[in-house]
Amino acid sequence: MRKLSGSQIVWMIVTTEIVAIIGINITPAILISKQDTWISMLVAGGIGAALTFLVVHLSMLHPNQTLTQFSQALLGKWLGRLIVLPYLIAWYTLSAYLLRSFSGFLKPLLIDRTPLWIIMLLLLGLMVYLTYSAGITGIGRYCEIVGPIIIFVLIVSFILNAGNTDWHHLLPVYADTGWVTILRGSLRPALWFAGPFTLLVVVAFMQNPQKALSKSMLGVGITVVMVFTATLMVLLVFGPNLAAKIRFSYFMYVRTIDILNFIQNMDIFIVFVWIFAVTAQLSLFLFVASYETAQLFNVKNWRNIIWFSPPAILIMAILIPNETVLAIYDQFWVSVIFPVCGIGIPLLLWIVSVVKKKASESKV
Amino acid sequence: MKRAGTLCFVWLLMILSTTGCWNLREPNQLAFVLGTGLDLTKDGQLQISIQIVIPSGVDGGQESGGGTKGKSFRVISATGKNVYDTVPSFQAQLSRSLFLGHRRIILIGQRLAEHGIGNLLDEFIRNPQSELRSRIYVVKNGQAKDILSAEPIFEPFTSTALVHQQATLGLKRYYFRDFLSDALSQGLQPMLPTVRLTDSKQFVYSGTAVFNKDEGLKLVGFLDDKDSFYANWITNRQAGFALTSFVKRGNGNVSLKLQSLGQRIRVKMVDKQIKIDVHLTGEGTIVENNTDLDPTKLKDLHIIQDELSETTQRSIQRLIEKVQKQYKTDIFGFGERVHQQYPNQWKTMKRDWNDTFPELAVSVKVNLQCNPGENNSSVKIMP
Repeated sequence: MRKLSGSQIVWMIVTTEIVAIIGINITPAILISKQDTWISMLVAGGIGAALTFLVVHLSMLHPNQTLTQFSQALLGKWLGRLIVLPYLIAWYTLSAYLLRSFSGFLKPLLIDRTPLWIIMLLLLGLMVYLTYSAGITGIGRYCEIVGPIIIFVLIVSFILNAGNTDWHHLLPVYADTGWVTILRGSLRPALWFAGPFTLLVVVAFMQNPQKALSKSMLGVGITVVMVFTATLMVLLVFGPNLAAKIRFSYFMYVRTIDILNFIQNMDIFIVFVWIFAVTAQLSLFLFVASYETAQLFNVKNWRNIIWFSPPAILIMAILIPNETVLAIYDQFWVSVIFPVCGIGIPLLLWIVSVVKKKASESKV
Repeated sequence: MKRAGTLCFVWLLMILSTTGCWNLREPNQLAFVLGTGLDLTKDGQLQISIQIVIPSGVDGGQESGGGTKGKSFRVISATGKNVYDTVPSFQAQLSRSLFLGHRRIILIGQRLAEHGIGNLLDEFIRNPQSELRSRIYVVKNGQAKDILSAEPIFEPFTSTALVHQQATLGLKRYYFRDFLSDALSQGLQPMLPTVRLTDSKQFVYSGTAVFNKDEGLKLVGFLDDKDSFYANWITNRQAGFALTSFVKRGNGNVSLKLQSLGQRIRVKMVDKQIKIDVHLTGEGTIVENNTDLDPTKLKDLHIIQDELSETTQRSIQRLIEKVQKQYKTDIFGFGERVHQQYPNQWKTMKRDWNDTFPELAVSVKVNLQCNPGENNSSVKIMP
């Protein structure tokens, strides 16, 4: 299998994280930290980088091995496999969640008479195509193209709305919230900055695994800067009180662009770019989930899993009855899945790796 | 065989996705809404009126001078329980489906505004088809419906005419979303521009409507257009305006066309007592001079500047007192300034702010800079 280059890792992180945070995490953060949400985003970036560090460092201790392989090597065959199960649950359900929530976002805005399952099927078709035809290298190359486009479109949206900003919306700084609130507001974005722990698998496919740390930090860094700016701009245009009322505040922000009554309705470009990025995101999850499922059941060719995983994701997505269930899942993600898969197990594996390494060194 | 099957599937997907057949909606199937008017009928029902474009009436409007041109718009109304409840009634009268993406204006009739509009705002954000770039006006002494039906002088629609007029009047852009942001903030009461209809069925800008958001966004009063300029100056919603005032030491009037306005609002805390300092600056050109003074001379120019500043200052002081005593709503956003500059004290003050505001000590300082204009001493031919 061909390998991923360093810049592909950077753009993969940017592409798969940025739209999720800007799309669905700005308003919940503003609801908590109000006009200080931009501070929350910076704090979140710091926490996210630390969590990414943990995951990447753990992967780098086991070069060319993915999660299922090194967890079995560390904890033995059965316990090692058992530990992968929560990850698989997380990746499959998260894919279904994203598929459902993005289609649910798209439908009322642009294509309100199209059945939801058609939108989901189309997205699913794209991600299956990308993943099946080219695997992780294809996803990497795709992100290398899409990532810069996303950054470009975001920057254009910042520049075009500069005339609608009012810096008074940011005042008073800190006094209304205090650090506890700011920290609380940073929790959800922080988990997204860390990503859904796909790096546990992806790092194994890198050409130069020793560069994984610097490249992933760069990826998180770019993401943090863009999310921070987007949050700042949303606050500057709407003010914290109105922004907190708008569910997809960045999207609404783009819709407010109006230059000389001529440059308007930029939201259509944003939707385009969003579809690119969501495809990348879903493809990555699909790849990671399929690959690890194959590893778990000792299936030689992971592509065979593709016959099973996308239908499972689609069925789960269709079974989600309404958007309140999405909110419940979101809560579940923050309170259970992430602490287990993003912090608990990686920390455990990391400690075991370090201890084993020490032990083997002392033996020699 | 297998390949052909995949190809067919991909084809089908392409046709479904790229052509957009599922959501096909051509412009000639849409009724473009340019303006929405909200009124309260005499028997207390909510009445929504919309101004829709008739494309055939707009096309080639300049050439068809013979009066053969049809009307460029139509206004239809319906009553309902809330804003969206009227949409089915509209749709029942139209062969095309409503399209709100180009709505330029939202008008609120005076009776409805007095009744309170606090519970009518939700639809404008929630409806995904809604448009937040609309401007918003209150219709003084009348109904929103009548303004929408009026035929303006230049533009084919009142909706666009009103938007253009705001720029002509030197008002900064104030969108519906700005109004929402103001209405949701802590220490600021919203105010909106107003328009009224003359007897000859023309619309006239007529100042500002003052709201009280703590009573469900109720209209509590109006400011005339002069006072509105001052109020907009304080709140940074005015880019320029012209003022004319009597200069005593020159025994005549001077008109000043102000083009750059500045404002600085400082909050001072003296013995736990709040004091507001409003410092306004303006720069402009003298466009008419009926006095004996010669503005090209420094001494005379100073006299004009000082007297103009002083009279403006007095007018603004009177305005602030009037708002404090009569309307008791903080349209100047002094509370927001306290919030920004003394956030900790604000936490205890915000609950009683409506009682504090009328008692606030506000000092106003106006500083005007004038350019003399094109001639020196006044051109006057006296008998």
